[in-house]
This record gives sequence, C-alpha cells and structure tokens, in this order.
Amino acid sequence: MKKEVWFGLTIMAAVVLAAFVLLPSPSMMSNGHLGLLMLALVVVAIMLGFPTAFTLMGMGMVFAWIAYRSQNPGLAVQQTLDLMVQRTYSVMSNDVLISIPLFVFMGYLIERANLIEKLFKSMHLATARIPGSLAVATIITCAIFATATGIVGAVVTLMGLLALPAMLRAGYGVQLSAGAITAGGCLGILIPPSVMLIVYGATAGVSVVKLYAGAFFPGLMLAGLYIAYVIILAKLKPSLAPPMSAEERRVPLPAFAEIVSSTVSKRVLPGLMGAIKGKRNAAVPMRTLLNHLFIALLPALAVVLIMGLVFLKVTAPVEPEVPEGVVAMGSAALGTVEEETANAGGLQEPEPESGLQEPPSEEATQAPAASVAAETEAVKPGAPIVAEPVAASERVPAPASFWIGLVSCAVALALFYAMFSFARLEIFKMLLGSFFPLAIMILAVLGTIVFGLATPTEAAAMGSMGGLVLAAAYRRLNLGVLKESVYLTAKTSAMVCWLFVGSSIFSAAFALLGGQEIINTWVLSMDMTPVQFMILAQIVIFLLGWPLEWTEIIVIFMPIFIPLLPHFGIDPLFFGLLVALNLQTAFLSPPVAMAAFYLKGVSPPHVTLNQIFAGMLPFMAIQVFAIILLYQFPAIGLWLPQLLYK
Amino acid sequence: MQKLLLAVDRISTFVGQLFSWLIVALTFMISWEVFSRYALDNPHPWAFDVMSMMYGSLFMMAGAYTLSKNGHVRGDVLYGFFPPRLQAGLDLTLYILFFIPGVFALAWAGYNYAADSWVINEHSNITANGPPVYPFKTIIPIAGALLLAQGLVEIVRCIVCLQQGKWPSRGEDVEEVDVEKLKEMVHVKDEDIARLDAFVVHPQESQK
Repeated sequence: MKKEVWFGLTIMAAVVLAAFVLLPSPSMMSNGHLGLLMLALVVVAIMLGFPTAFTLMGMGMVFAWIAYRSQNPGLAVQQTLDLMVQRTYSVMSNDVLISIPLFVFMGYLIERANLIEKLFKSMHLATARIPGSLAVATIITCAIFATATGIVGAVVTLMGLLALPAMLRAGYGVQLSAGAITAGGCLGILIPPSVMLIVYGATAGVSVVKLYAGAFFPGLMLAGLYIAYVIILAKLKPSLAPPMSAEERRVPLPAFAEIVSSTVSKRVLPGLMGAIKGKRNAAVPMRTLLNHLFIALLPALAVVLIMGLVFLKVTAPVEPEVPEGVVAMGSAALGTVEEETANAGGLQEPEPESGLQEPPSEEATQAPAASVAAETEAVKPGAPIVAEPVAASERVPAPASFWIGLVSCAVALALFYAMFSFARLEIFKMLLGSFFPLAIMILAVLGTIVFGLATPTEAAAMGSMGGLVLAAAYRRLNLGVLKESVYLTAKTSAMVCWLFVGSSIFSAAFALLGGQEIINTWVLSMDMTPVQFMILAQIVIFLLGWPLEWTEIIVIFMPIFIPLLPHFGIDPLFFGLLVALNLQTAFLSPPVAMAAFYLKGVSPPHVTLNQIFAGMLPFMAIQVFAIILLYQFPAIGLWLPQLLYK
Repeated sequence: MQKLLLAVDRISTFVGQLFSWLIVALTFMISWEVFSRYALDNPHPWAFDVMSMMYGSLFMMAGAYTLSKNGHVRGDVLYGFFPPRLQAGLDLTLYILFFIPGVFALAWAGYNYAADSWVINEHSNITANGPPVYPFKTIIPIAGALLLAQGLVEIVRCIVCLQQGKWPSRGEDVEEVDVEKLKEMVHVKDEDIARLDAFVVHPQESQK
C-alpha cells in the first residue's frame, strides 16, 4: 500500500489506542466518558471517508438518544427527534451563515470574469524592477484573486497555468515558483472576506465583523512576509530568480505617446499639457490627449476627494449624538446612520486608490499612512485643535494633523507626478483595468462591514452584485456562466451548511453527555499557564489539520476549545485569528496539502510532487513565524477591532 | 437499474438546481433592501425573515443535489487511496449505520415539526406581523425525503460497485475546478505545458 495510507492508518490507530488507554473500563464509564469515546469514534469515522455531515448527524443522533435514555427512557426518542429538528432549524435560520452562499456566489462570479490574466500581466510589469519580480507579482495576484474568490483550487490551477510557465521560462527555480503559487493561492482563506472566518464566527459566537477587522492586518502581514522572503531570496541567490532584462521590461507605447514623449516631454503631465496647448502635434487627436490627461490625473483627483471628505468629517459640527467612529450595526439611530453613510461611504471607497495607485513610486506608502493618520485623528474625539478657524461658523477647526496629512499627500503626489512617465501611464492604465476594480470591490465590501455601514450579509449581497457587474463589464456574463456559478454556489453552500446541521446535532449530543466537563476538568487539572495552553491548542489544531479539512476542524473541535478560553483569559477573537493562521498552515503541509495536487495537475510532467512540497516548506515556516509574531504582538490583529469597537 | 439511478439523480438535480436560483433572488433582494433603506428611507420589516428563508431553503434543498454529485465534504486522506470495492463497502456500511437512520429521523421529526406549525398557523415573531413560517418549516421534511431517496440510490450504487468492482457513472455536472475549462479560459494548451519540460529538466541536469 502507499505511504499515505499507512500515514492515515497510523493516525487512526493512534486515536483508537489513545481512547483505550485514556478511558476507564466499560463498567466504570460515565456518560462523560461516552462523550469522549464519541469524539474519538467520529475522528475515525471521518477518516473512513464517509460524507462528514452525515457521519456527524448519525453519530450525534445515536449518542443523544443514549444521553436522553439515561435520564428518562420513556421520552428519549421524542427528545432526540426534537433536538435534531430544532438544531436543523436553527442552522436554517442562522443570521451569520446566510452570508456564506452570498460570498461564495461572489467568488464564483469573479473567478469567471477572467480578470486573472490581465491582473498577472499588469502586476508583473508594475513590479518589474523589484528582485524576483515574477514571484512577487505571482504572490500579489494570488492574494488579490484568492481574496476576492476564496476558491483555493481554482486560483492555484489558474496561476499554475499562467505564472508557472512565465516563471520557468524566465529561469526561476521550480521550487520557488511552486512555493509562491501554492502559498499565495492559500492566502484567500485568511484574508477577509473569507468563508472560514464566517464559519468560525458562527461556531464560536464571535462577531464576524470583528473577525474581519482583526484578520485584515495579519493577512496583509503574511502576504508581506512572503513577498519579503521572495525578494531577499532573489537578492541572495539571483540564479533562482534572475532579474528581467531591460528588453522584457519595456512597455510598448501607443503611437501618440511615442510622439508626445519624443517631442514634448517624457513625463506625462508636462507632456500632455504641452501637447494640448501647443499646436506642435497636429497628428495626435485632442480626444486622446484629454482622455489620457484625465486618467493621469485620477490619483490627484482621488487624493483631493479623500482629503476633502476627511476635512468635512473632521470639521463637522459636533453633535451630541454622533456615534464615535462607528457603532455596530443596528444600534445607531436612523438619522445618524444616514449621515454616516454620506460621510464614510464616500470616504471608504476611494481610499484604496490613494494608497495603491502609485505602485511605481517609492513614496507611495507616505500617502496612505498620512491619510490614515488623518482619519485616525478624525475618529478620536477631542483631538488637539490647533489650526485656524474655517469659513463656516459652526464648523470645528481642523486639527494640525489634518494639515500635516494634506501636505505630505501633496508632496507624495508631486513626487509621483515627477516620476510619472508614459511607460508608467501604460502600466497604470493596465492596472486600472484589472487591479483596481478588484481591490476597490474587496475594500468596499470589507469597509462597509468593518465600519458598520452594512451587516456582513448585506455587504456580501452587494459584493455578489459587484461580481455580476464585474463579470458583465468584462463581457463574460452569459446564461452559461451564470448557471455554472449558481449551481456551484448551491453545492458549496449545501456542503458547508449541511456540515453545520450535522455538527450542531453532534455537539449538542456531546454537551448532553457531559464530555465537555471532563475535558474542562482535565485541562484545568493540568494547571497550565495561558501560554502553555495556547501552544498546546495550536499544536493540536495543527495536527488535526493533517487528516481533517478546516471546516471539520472548526465545526467539531472549536466548540471544545472555546469554553476553555475564559479560564485562561484568552480573547476568543484573538484565538480565532491564531486558529485561522494555523489552519492556513495546514493547507501547505505535506503530504495532504490540496494546493500541491492542484498545481501538479497543470504543471509539466517533470515537475514532481516532491519538488512542489519542498517549495512549500519555506512558506510554511513563514506561516509558523507569522503565528509567533501575532502571538507576541497581538496588536497586529487586535488594533483595528479595538480602535473601531471600543 | 442504471436508468433508475440516473432518474433519481435527475430529480435531485432538478430540484437542487431550481432552488439554487434563489441565490440570485437573494442577491437582488438584499441589494434592493439596502438601497431602499439607505436611499429611499423605506426599510421593510419582513426583509430579514425572507432573507433567512431564502437561504435556508437554498441549502436544504440542494443537499440531495450535492449528494448526487458526490459533493459533500469527506475526509479523503485514506479514502482516495482505497480500491473501489473497499470504498463501496465502507460507504455501504456507513450509509446504513449513520445516514439512513439519521436522515430518516430528521425527515420524520421535520414532518411533525412542520405539521405543528401548520396547525397553529405560525408566523415569524422577529418583527410584528411577521411572514408565515410554516412553508419554511415544511422544507425540512421535503429536503429530508429527497435526501433519503438519494441516499437509497447511493446505497444501490455501492452494491453495484461491490459487484462490478468499479463505480457506476454519475450525471455530468459543473465542477468547481474544471481544469480543461480553466485552460481554455486563459488560452493555455497541453502542448505549451509539455514544452515547458525543457525548462524544468535542464537546470536539474546542470546542477548534477
């Protein structure tokens, strides 16, 4: 037999053996011990390969009946039936899970809009000067596309078709290429809006909104660490990731741009302005020039819009009832909600533009940092008030930090335009057609959720709507595509939600038997420190990640861990973030990592699974490092939720 | 025999696909509701109930459809490496042991649950004058019955597989990761992939 079978059989044998060793003899068994036995049995049964939802349902039913019978044999059957149907109904009317089909639908639509080819090409050109640029572009593309779609298999397959040939042809190492694709493709599980966080939120009773706010920066951090690793590796060992030649970096310019840059100026703004004013370029139609001038001015317009809105927000007259920052959905009065939409709704969407529109410029980071700082100030009540009074009499003067932000934005813009050549304009136009629609959509969906403008359900529905629009805009929306997306959505949602039906019956039975108390007393009797407990929990989850899927781990095992958290004073939100990062690792751990098999399916025959696994290992190490980082500095995850929902 | 199997498959698929269009309705309804509340200042109190009913019906009725396409998540660490006969044997045992009793109990309990709801003419109590709940609760026994029928078909499939040593065919359906379609979407051909081998093999040889 193959080694995978032995691997699985060993785990199964270990579980059965552990159950025998740890449990007392049948005569001394209490109901609680039965609960533990049930847990061990279910792990074995799942590994036998029967659909998990029904394994859980059947086993939960049997053990619930046993539990009820020990109390009152006459009523046991009726009580079991009631329990089952009530649990099922509670899943059917669950207001958290309802966003799952919507996000899944959005993902399938975006996947079928076929943006990935353009996205990869434009990212590739935009990052051309960075060492290991192809791998960096791969990771960024994967991260964005995986975030928007959330379908690991499709992202890895598509990138295997697009990026792997490109990287191999450019002379990249097979392992590095495979690692970048698989690691990047799995990022979508962590970076919100991800279905995993909804499932965790529904299981653990943690607000999905807070989870999304919390997972945003750890997700970005992980992507950043991947990119940093690739860049450093490319610097140290250029043979693994040779830089692109100047020839490959060259962006073909349209005819008019050639004329303008050779006759007027190489830079976009002076070039276009000069061409419009002077009559030197009769060959170039005015329309083209004006269109391009408008495109070139978009970043400036975005900055002006944002700063204007921030200014309005900062100087808004103080009202007694204005909610600070943002209040969780539904708690704000209707009037103030509307006002918030007017302000923050506008604020949200253009924001990414200012930060992301300047990929070629090194100063890019300044602009978002500054505007974030300004916004932070705006959120804090009673920020130092320094600057001169404003025209409107009842308006509050803007704080100094706003002016500082404004100036630094202006400086960044000036630098950006100083470096804005026609080649960069072409790249910018490509990004405009691929990167920004996705990024803006993700940030709009996330922003409305995180800032409390819409519930996750509403944002998910708007996201699906955006997916429809996007697919239509790229002329991919037809009945066939819609049908496929709809049917796939139904199947995926049925899979996740029936799993919930099964697991909620199962965990009810587990609670009835009192298995939870035995685990509680057992864990508490070990007298662990919170750190030890945390490490133990993460190791257990990591090990479970081998034989089980993340859905199964969350719906079966989280209900066991969550009640223990208050004893150790651990925030379930923080725990959820660690678990999400941890399960992410499980996607990359050989020999069961699905991502590797998807990649193998589309790679040239001489790329072996072992090479792919070897390529994944460094990225797995980075994930472990990220877990440690998050553990050491919880603020990475908790800063945003704490800021928003004090 | 094969015809009967596929006929039940078709019923499950038809019902599941019919209800899966609810996702489009759900998308439009929620988007309209958001627009109506923020822009027209006219929220509908029944919206919340209707949303969850759409979602609940969607996934419940798609359960049998998903089963007929073998789409429910399974722990396939081991399963995938088993020979078909062993797979079928295990599946058969567990269908009889867990699936049939569990789903039958659910359908039966759901039948009584829904019947009670019809008798008292139950309406949602989340908002005043909530919409009726009994049609929604009726979904449970219907979905349960469909699932049961599909489960019986799967059992027959297991038996056929035990006899013949290979799995009988299933109806065609759209796949989540359909490699051929994805290849077409990004214009990559098999020859292109094969040609890449040159880049994979050479660097290794030069290292040796």
